[in-house]
Amino acid sequence: MVYLHDGTFNGLLTCVYEHYYLEKANGIYPENRFEMELLEQEVHIATDDVKAKKVYDAIWNKISDEAMKNVYYTFLSNDYKKDCYILKYLELGFKMGYKVDNDHTNKDVINVHKLSSKVSKERHRLLGLLRFQEVGDVLYAPLTPDHDLIELLADHFADRMRNEKFIIHDKKRNKAVVYNKKEWMITDFTYENEIDVSEKERDFQEMWKGYFEHIGIKERKNLVLQRQFVPTRYRKNIVEFNK
Amino acid sequence: MNKNIIEKLQILADAAKYDVSCASSGVNKKNTGKIGSSQASGICHTWASDGRCVSLLKILLSNDCAYDCEYCVNRLSNDVRRASFTPEEVAELTIEFYRRNYIEGLFLSSAVEKNPNHTMEKIVKTLLILRNQYGFSGYIHVKAIPGADKILIHQAGELADRMSVNIELPTEAGLKLLAPQKTMKKLFLPMDQIKQEIGRSKYELARYRHAKSFVPAGQSTQMIVGATKESDMDMINITDQLYKKFSLKRVYFSAYVPVNQGGNLPAISSTTAPMLREHRLYQADWLLRFYKFKANELLDQSNPNFDKDFDPKMMWALRNIKEFPKEINKVSVNELLRIPGIGMISARRILKQRKIRNITFDDLKKMGVVVKRARFFITCGGKYYGEKNLDPENIKNILNPVPPYEQLSLKI
Repeated sequence: MVYLHDGTFNGLLTCVYEHYYLEKANGIYPENRFEMELLEQEVHIATDDVKAKKVYDAIWNKISDEAMKNVYYTFLSNDYKKDCYILKYLELGFKMGYKVDNDHTNKDVINVHKLSSKVSKERHRLLGLLRFQEVGDVLYAPLTPDHDLIELLADHFADRMRNEKFIIHDKKRNKAVVYNKKEWMITDFTYENEIDVSEKERDFQEMWKGYFEHIGIKERKNLVLQRQFVPTRYRKNIVEFNK
Repeated sequence: MNKNIIEKLQILADAAKYDVSCASSGVNKKNTGKIGSSQASGICHTWASDGRCVSLLKILLSNDCAYDCEYCVNRLSNDVRRASFTPEEVAELTIEFYRRNYIEGLFLSSAVEKNPNHTMEKIVKTLLILRNQYGFSGYIHVKAIPGADKILIHQAGELADRMSVNIELPTEAGLKLLAPQKTMKKLFLPMDQIKQEIGRSKYELARYRHAKSFVPAGQSTQMIVGATKESDMDMINITDQLYKKFSLKRVYFSAYVPVNQGGNLPAISSTTAPMLREHRLYQADWLLRFYKFKANELLDQSNPNFDKDFDPKMMWALRNIKEFPKEINKVSVNELLRIPGIGMISARRILKQRKIRNITFDDLKKMGVVVKRARFFITCGGKYYGEKNLDPENIKNILNPVPPYEQLSLKI
């Protein structure tokens, strides 16, 4: 038996609920990514906010806030089997309580920790590598992250840029965080056109590029090390790496 | 903005790049003004072509220096292009770069233009504009210019997150040789003042609601490695003293890059030798700050320098082989930290894991222990997994075997 959900976090939690109260599941997948398996019977689970809330509270109360974070970050990752890992991890968590995160030798715990830390690391990296450009009176930042994590960036920038309107655009998933000086929200978003760069904006970009070039010490040049920190796949959205 | 500013920015970035510190860490604060916040972990925003992280906009206010220190690009007698920013220009650049998320804050330093007080005044003015006019509450690191008035340093400290005074050359003899206008005493004066004021402000903040913070992210300094004859032992002892005397947050080391040719400077054709030394010194610095090692444990008169092939902790372990092997399931956290191949994170995991069940040898790798190095120094459940005997020479050979053939050349 495999449970399929609509791809939302509440959908996933509903599946976990049914795993305990309906029938045991061998795996959980989001509908849109599931690849059919011959011997597994698939069941579509309709998202139920009440049931999801119960599981949410149970994780919070019976395991820990750290486990909650691990589950959520893993949910945002791009791994095909992420929801299956979460199920295994939660099963163990409801038995062991908060100690589940101390068990660094258990396969089910390792799987979730690995994915969670991948997401967390990419988030931290993007806090630095994200670049805004001024378009009219809005700051616009295009991104192509590996994981579905732009919502994790929102609070940081909403606090830091309190008096600016900004859009953080995930070009891979066609969604964006939009902030209007009061609150932020996630919405569907597409923008394919060339951005019209104003003269002032171009000046600052040129200044930054010039600075960037001059701050490196020639005698210590190490492009391999640089590429470890700024992988090529991120570079097309970072002004100083574009001509 | 015009060509003029672009050019100035490049000249003054060139002048500032030999300063190694670029950390934006040590203070966690939300946006209390109009723009800006900072994270205790620090955030790197990009990495330059030398692989170093760029976190702060690191520039000099001016490279028009009245001093003539032999190791410095900006020395009076050098023929380099000179430029000076006004405080307004620096403030605007900082804010505009910050808005675009290019940087995490500002690292403002300066050559001594005219005299120390004039320079420090300009620095303070820049901070005042940033903090008060723009409402900037991001990270600011400024240099305290030795010889500047106490009041100016106090003002800067109330506005900045971190301050630093570079001692550059760790001994009085070195200073006399290469920087005759500086003396240790003059350098230590502002460091001591900053230390005192940090202490006072911490005391007041704990008691009074409206007490002002002073340099909340602490004080740091920098020393050049390989410009004078100091041994690694001298460097580490001085580092240790600095941590103790001035409660510094960080001591940075910068491998000497020959920017000038001078009678008293060492002739170094390639920069690799000081680079490795710099790396070893940082490793030792970590052992002092986080692993509770003492300076005299790492090096002594008979071995005044670190090893080329092995890190300082491994060398310590090999010299003190009598203390090993240690039982993973029993020893205290401080002893765990002294085992090569075990770091802060894996030690913490071992502690927690032990409470659930005993740790086996196979578990160690899953917990992030570097088993390749650690296996010689541990037992798991009483069993030893290293070689037959605990012979330091033997361990050295296994870890770093002499290559059976030699690579002739590899040039790209």
